[in-house]
Amino acid sequence: MTIYLRSGGKLRDQLKPDVDEYTRRVEVDGDLTLKEILTTLGIPLAFVAFAFTDGMLRRLDYKPSDGETITLQPPVSGG
Amino acid sequence: MPGWGQKGQERLAGARVFLAGVGGLGCAAGVYLATAGVGRMDVCDADAVERSNLNRQFLYTPRDVGRPKAELARDRLAALNPSIEVSALVTEIDHATAPELIAGADIVLDCLDNLETRFALNRACIAARVPMVYAAAADWTGYLSFLKPPETPCLECFVTRTPPPVEPAIPGCTPGTLGALQAMEALKYLTGIGNVFAGKLLVMDGAEPRFDVVAVDRDPSCAACSKLKAK
Repeated sequence: MTIYLRSGGKLRDQLKPDVDEYTRRVEVDGDLTLKEILTTLGIPLAFVAFAFTDGMLRRLDYKPSDGETITLQPPVSGG
Repeated sequence: MPGWGQKGQERLAGARVFLAGVGGLGCAAGVYLATAGVGRMDVCDADAVERSNLNRQFLYTPRDVGRPKAELARDRLAALNPSIEVSALVTEIDHATAPELIAGADIVLDCLDNLETRFALNRACIAARVPMVYAAAADWTGYLSFLKPPETPCLECFVTRTPPPVEPAIPGCTPGTLGALQAMEALKYLTGIGNVFAGKLLVMDGAEPRFDVVAVDRDPSCAACSKLKAK
């Protein structure tokens, strides 16, 4: 199935967008969790603070569905 | 303004806010709280001004380099509004000190710059049942949420991963935006006007630009707040 990963901030360096400046199209086997997808792509989990879709924050055990866009945000702590 | 008036102003005059950190977030939040008339503010920061702070920490000038931020912020916030009381706490916030530092506060603003200290503040706020307005910023990115468990998640429910050791540079407008929003959350809470970001996380990606508001649930296994039961 196809999912789309949108990246914010410094995560763009890791995700290497290809659809537009922010989004990468990814072909994955169905029934994979976000954690498994990110691991497959070689993106360290430490670089992802938040993942959300449909206005809901998702944990890394979330299983995206075909055609879904997941937004990924990096951890930041500056003040 | 609807809902504010004399009554709202009196509520603010009787309120006490703990400002944890007077860096980029805290300078912005502090100015808007002081000028709004929050009666008492405790500004806490153990650091001294560094030259690299000056692009975003606008309460300080080049002549302040090396001087304690909390004392400078106290003086400048009090100068903006001489009718309020501002105290300076030049001390570290940790698990041992946080409970005493925030005692008596009506609301706490997390304007800190690292996760470890944020978690200590989060635990103290949970124990004291005091709401905390979380914000964090780097480059063009910022996050904000109003935390008051058990009605909302606490910080440890949804913030788990630490940033890379070297965070990107930060233009002053990013923490300035988030700090202003923290002040807005505090003013709404203290006056009872409108709704706060309770159970919601604001995600700002200023580069794209894009603002998202996403729902955040409590973590039933959260080590910090899962034992608190909602009313």
